[in-house]
Amino acid sequence: MLQYWTAILTEATIFAVLALGIDMIWGWAGDFDLSAYAYFALGVYMTIVLTIGKPHPPVSYVLGLHLFYPVAVVLAVVVVVAFASIIGAIALRSLREVYFSITTLGAVWAIYYWVENYTPLFNGYNGVYGLFDPLGGGMSYSAYHYYFFAACLVILAGVYVVVTRLSKSPFGRMVRAVRDDEAAASVYGRNVFWAKYRTYLFGAGLAGFSGALFAAYIGAFNPLDWRPTEIFVLYAAILVGGRGNPKGVILGSFIVYVGFVELTRYIPSPQARPELGPALRQILIGVLIILMLKFRPSGLIPERLGTDGTQVRRTWRTLFSRSARSVDEIDVDNSVASESEVDA
Amino acid sequence: MTTPLLEIESVTKTFGGVVAVSDCSMSIREGTVVGLIGPNGAGKSSVIDLVSGFEQPDQGNIRFAGTEIVGKRPDQISRMGLIRTFQTPREWRDLSVIDNVRVGRRDLERDSIWRGIMAPRRLRRLEEQESGELRDLMVHYRLDAVRNHRAVGLSGGQKRLLEFARIAAAKPRLTILDEPMGGVNPVLGERIGEAIRELKRNGSTVVVVEHNLPFIERTCDEVVVMDLGTVIAQGPFADLRDNKRVVDAYLGNDDE
Repeated sequence: MLQYWTAILTEATIFAVLALGIDMIWGWAGDFDLSAYAYFALGVYMTIVLTIGKPHPPVSYVLGLHLFYPVAVVLAVVVVVAFASIIGAIALRSLREVYFSITTLGAVWAIYYWVENYTPLFNGYNGVYGLFDPLGGGMSYSAYHYYFFAACLVILAGVYVVVTRLSKSPFGRMVRAVRDDEAAASVYGRNVFWAKYRTYLFGAGLAGFSGALFAAYIGAFNPLDWRPTEIFVLYAAILVGGRGNPKGVILGSFIVYVGFVELTRYIPSPQARPELGPALRQILIGVLIILMLKFRPSGLIPERLGTDGTQVRRTWRTLFSRSARSVDEIDVDNSVASESEVDA
Repeated sequence: MTTPLLEIESVTKTFGGVVAVSDCSMSIREGTVVGLIGPNGAGKSSVIDLVSGFEQPDQGNIRFAGTEIVGKRPDQISRMGLIRTFQTPREWRDLSVIDNVRVGRRDLERDSIWRGIMAPRRLRRLEEQESGELRDLMVHYRLDAVRNHRAVGLSGGQKRLLEFARIAAAKPRLTILDEPMGGVNPVLGERIGEAIRELKRNGSTVVVVEHNLPFIERTCDEVVVMDLGTVIAQGPFADLRDNKRVVDAYLGNDDE
């Protein structure tokens, strides 16, 4: 049982790192990116092929190096960011909103089918395998997983600190201004493409990094382990926790991941229909997204509002109350006057 | 004779087959408040878009402080010292009022990812040092009570004032206001007139597009009149009152 929980919580931790990356792209910069799973998968693949050594036929994959795991992680992230810089440059140059999403969706499926069918790359649909205990501690299988879980928690804490600092920084504020109104942001000197692009690369880098972690956890990876549509589970986690708030995103990741892995375990699947449980899981996630959007669209812990620190306000209050209007001075009130008429 | 701050020289812009701006020339002297008037469709907003880099002219030159700016992006032109507004207030809706003004300050070197991660305390200290100045701006534009609120919740009038607070924080060399009085009541209108004079006092040249002629007369040193995509007159308001072309353009009289 302990091992089972360790496994689930490890996955949830890695999943939270991935969600933090995606939240930067969507929550901060407002770009609904659908290709992030490809960055995650590329991170996994790269880490594995950089650490497991030469392929033995009939298995085939690129590189096949025998690098020290941390070096492989760095290289994997570099490759993912380089890759994202191409997709991002195309998708962000002039495409916005749904057109941006469609482009990234096209990109992820193209990559998916390429990886699945072009065996010299990552051994096609059979995938790559053989990464275990990458730091060579000589541990037993179960001991390794406990240590790995602890390491993941420390890493998540580190990522959280970095992302939170950035979120509260002038950079985080500027990217959100770009999200809210691009034209106004450019009037105030901000290069819109560059702001979105930098955020995109940072988010993609985090996605690749979470993939590199996942590689050390799972040891083997094939196209069945990642479907591009799984990205919606991540968006559900971000929505539940609070778009744009790193704390909320981590909370949402644990709720959705642990909640849904657990829930589906107890859904009885009849012998004749084993696919019923997983199908219900998808339906439940859909219902969860709808309920959150209806009743709490900004999530459990909404995006932090930058204040001057003189007032400790709960953000949900500002969101749902109309007090912003009630303190308004009378003479500054809105009026319907149509003074734009020519004074003849 | 000093060079004008803004020089527009024989600029033409067509959209599809429609000529929006046609061989238009004007020059704006530094330190003045200039009203840009003309009937609907005269090309006023198109000229603003061309000057601020949101559109590129088909022909002609635009110089800002002596530098050619045709071909530059809006953010590049902004960094040279030009801030414009749009016909509707364009606040950053999910940022607090005070954060709107902070972004408006254009401290671009602070937008670095590296500094955001590595030097959060130093950045916060910088902002604390400026908090008094920011607070004064908030009080001055009657936004103090709502400074920590989401900008989206402001009333229409407060959004107009926030726009001015943001411009004041940006300290531009040239401010272009596109119909700052649209949908604004007379009392707030007075406040906006005052805000424009303050901009001038603080060293900004101002171009204001407006249909409210008494307001233009009170606020502006000089008026540029446009019709059919080109400038038909430029001078002090009093001189233009009797100009037949100006009156015809506004009233739509057609003698032919």
